[in-house]
Amino acid sequence: MPRRKLPRERNRLRRPQRHKDVLHTQGGHRGNAFRCVGCRLEVSPDAPGTAHRNHCPTCLTSLHVDHRVPGDRASGCRGRMEALSLSVRQDGEWMIIHHCLSCGELSANRIAGDDNALALVRLAVRPLRDTTMASRTLLTL
Amino acid sequence: MSNPNNPRSSSHQHTLKVGTFTCAWCGLTVSTFAADGTRRNHCPSCLHSQHVTDHVEGGTSECRARMTPIAIAVLRTGDWMVIHRCVRCDELTSNPVCTDDNQLILMRIAVRPLAQAPFPLEAFGTL
Ligand SMILES: [Zn+2]
Ligand SMILES: [Zn+2]
Ligand SMILES: [Zn+2]
Ligand SMILES: [Zn+2]
Repeated sequence: MPRRKLPRERNRLRRPQRHKDVLHTQGGHRGNAFRCVGCRLEVSPDAPGTAHRNHCPTCLTSLHVDHRVPGDRASGCRGRMEALSLSVRQDGEWMIIHHCLSCGELSANRIAGDDNALALVRLAVRPLRDTTMASRTLLTL
Repeated sequence: MSNPNNPRSSSHQHTLKVGTFTCAWCGLTVSTFAADGTRRNHCPSCLHSQHVTDHVEGGTSECRARMTPIAIAVLRTGDWMVIHRCVRCDELTSNPVCTDDNQLILMRIAVRPLAQAPFPLEAFGTL
């Protein structure tokens, strides 16, 4: 799988994950597989490279369960969260911006080692696919 | 959106008093409304914003920290939105791009994921 091979220099720059107040034990969701609300796939809770699986590795869809803190499961929304965009963290790590279709809330989540690379790349090229904005930019230069 | 029940919103000097605000990042004095009448929420030069609205609870946010542009999102209409992240509390917001926003910075944010891909893009011939 080519996507697991990171360029050497990026590997060196890679920092360990920052400490976050992720709550794992509350609600007993650890160890429970869940069914994706996007593609109906059965998803295992163990996500390589992340502390907690928060989106489907196949279609990248998530569920609005967290309120302020990742893993707090404090939101009553339960809306479907679609992968809206990609962002790059200071340390070079890709983050998926999820958007709740029910309440409009946004959240940023680290990609997991087994996320569908094609789905991620499609997300990354989305702003550049439609040439309207790109050509408008070039015209103003 | 400002909360009329919150007395603090009237003292929100940067956006309400003179129709201008000072950019929290580059210091530019920016008119609150763009030439086409749309209300600005970020600096057209550096695209930074300020955390003044609480999007989880609604109403005015007491945070007031700077918000950095971190991503471009595309609407079904093809229009671009800028995603901002608060440097203090990590809150995320999404706002429309203004016609006079710095196009080079917009484009730099849009291509950043591809420029820093975590896997070789050569494997993806056609998308
Ligand atoms: Zn799925
Ligand atoms: Zn929601
Ligand atoms: Zn500025
Ligand atoms: Zn804030």
